[in-house]
Amino acid sequence: MPSDRRLHPLSILFSLGALLRTVALPALVLLFTAGSRGWGWELWAPLLLIPNGIVALGRYLTFRYRFEPHELVIRSGFLFRQERHIPYGRIQNLDAVQNVFHRMFGVVTVRVDTGGGQEPEARMSVLPFAAFEEMRRIVRLGRGDESAGAAAEPGAAAGERVLLRLAPRDLLLHGLLDNRGFVLVAAAWGVLWEMKVSDRILGRFWRTDRDLSREAIESAMRTVSDGFTLSGHLLGRVGSALLAFVVFLLVVRLLSMGWALIRLHGFRLVLAGEDLRTEHGLFTRVVATIPLRRIQAVTVKEGPFARRLGRVAVRVETAGSDGGEQEKATQREWLAPILRRQELQGLLDEVLPGLHLAEVTWSSAPPRAFRRVLKKWLNAGLGLAFGGVVFLQAWGLLLVPVGLAWAWLGARRTLDHLGWAVTEGAVLFRSGWLWRQITVAPFGKIQAVALHESPFDRRAGMARLRVDTAGAKDLGHRVDIPYLERATAQGLRDLLARRAAQTAFKW
Amino acid sequence: MAMTDHPETSASSSPAEPAPLPGPPASIADGVEHPLDPRALTVQRITAWLVIAPILCALSIGLLLLLWLAPLLLWAQILLGLAGLGIASALVWSAHRWPEISHRHAAYTVAPEGIEVRRGVLWRLVIHVPRSRVQHTDVSQGPVERAYGLATLAIYTAGTDHAQVDLHGIDRATALAIRDHLVAGEGDDAV
Repeated sequence: MPSDRRLHPLSILFSLGALLRTVALPALVLLFTAGSRGWGWELWAPLLLIPNGIVALGRYLTFRYRFEPHELVIRSGFLFRQERHIPYGRIQNLDAVQNVFHRMFGVVTVRVDTGGGQEPEARMSVLPFAAFEEMRRIVRLGRGDESAGAAAEPGAAAGERVLLRLAPRDLLLHGLLDNRGFVLVAAAWGVLWEMKVSDRILGRFWRTDRDLSREAIESAMRTVSDGFTLSGHLLGRVGSALLAFVVFLLVVRLLSMGWALIRLHGFRLVLAGEDLRTEHGLFTRVVATIPLRRIQAVTVKEGPFARRLGRVAVRVETAGSDGGEQEKATQREWLAPILRRQELQGLLDEVLPGLHLAEVTWSSAPPRAFRRVLKKWLNAGLGLAFGGVVFLQAWGLLLVPVGLAWAWLGARRTLDHLGWAVTEGAVLFRSGWLWRQITVAPFGKIQAVALHESPFDRRAGMARLRVDTAGAKDLGHRVDIPYLERATAQGLRDLLARRAAQTAFKW
Repeated sequence: MAMTDHPETSASSSPAEPAPLPGPPASIADGVEHPLDPRALTVQRITAWLVIAPILCALSIGLLLLLWLAPLLLWAQILLGLAGLGIASALVWSAHRWPEISHRHAAYTVAPEGIEVRRGVLWRLVIHVPRSRVQHTDVSQGPVERAYGLATLAIYTAGTDHAQVDLHGIDRATALAIRDHLVAGEGDDAV
């Protein structure tokens, strides 16, 4: 019954296309720089494509996959045959990426990820879209997912439920609230820097040898500094600096909104049996499947403006690979880039059944932790005041009380919102003053519990408890509870270790 | 108390002990904190000396050459000599005295439900890994460890910070017994 299937014939074209894309830029550079020296071997470079074409053809001809009752079997290779068996139950994520060209031809690149190591277990480029639908259904069936079985007969969409759909208005709001624009500015800056390299190409167009991008940056900087010196006195300086800052922020926000519109266009979160699926993207369509029981931790985030507007963002951590394709991995984690707060509990009910965020009783850090938090904030506050004194001389001294007040407020509010809780099935941790985050780690996903004591902790008789889960990142929010009383920390450690040991970890 | 703990393990793993259950898992998972093997201190010192010995040689030769060949004033020579002496004694301290301190702060506890590894002198750390979260384990021996009959037990989890938890400097038989204990549970609680 299991019959062999192969890739879409277009996969030859797509693998050549990928190659072309990587060599296109160097080829262009060559094209423009080689002019004066005449044409040498560069003209013959396209011949290099021929062996690659043969390899692509060979890959297409030898690549086979079939659906066994319990596993996906992929065979590939001509001289070195490889047969890979991937049990359906092991598949962590089943992702599909479609860029503009894929969509033009109705095909898709599929990544099968089992969470082991850095690389996806299998990468199928490219499959017809219908074949991907079929694979998704069979994988769900193969896991013994009853609702998928029921849905398989009348039509694939029957067992599916849309949990969240984002309209362009929501996306614009998300772009406005999310500070993704800074990433874009950084990327643009990087491109500008690259331009110095490619100036030679530009120079060829305009027949000059000048360093165009550097001149552009320098003239922009000169304009700003002219603004400083023209308006001589202090208010003018501060004013023009503020103006520049505001304009910069506006541009960043606009970029961010544009980015959100394009990347998250038509965002849908669908519950299909035991799987969550997100779909989004205008040009490059990304479809990511996250089995519910593969979710390692859930983080709810709200920024200062989002809180005013009653919006939160929800992301999940999965144990999938993220090596090499960082961006896609982070994309996959967004369960809900933006969500009304009233709808949060509804989503959590689906993702973490039994968790009622409103009914959680939070424990907070002991009051004497305030001094330790304050010290950290004072460093920042006094740093600000010091910067003010350096730039504004005597006027900067005005910033000293501002810095002190800010530090006191920051420490107070940070400590107020710092908290942890243990519920029936999970440990929760919240932190942050302006940007608040709550992370929930189910007991079943706790890998290790670590008690940290720094010299400062020991002087204060405190400890920090860190819960390790698969896919927890240092930069992301995670269950990492500071300023615990030593005895509390030990008790909590024992409790979490016991609860984790009682539950079996299932991939 | 640390002195009494260790002989207890070696006694309990010997057949003379009237153990209720045969085999190491029952005896190894006693839930008592054990210090590392005393031989681990020697191993650590030897390893540390192997590292600093070439550095010490290079440092002293360089310093002697500098004092001998460079036309320096007397106070500069004395200062240089003192600095060299200071660095050398810091190195010797780190190779000889530091292992003793860190050895004192390192320990492990094996309980029926998991294993706990303690380490760190200034920044202290206790890692608890439930037995059901152990993906696999390695028992390895370096050349110095082998000479003293010691081993390193590496415990792998699916976590990120503690994807690998190393327990250095335990007796090889103990390491194997702990490994068996950690991996044996696979059949019972996989469902």
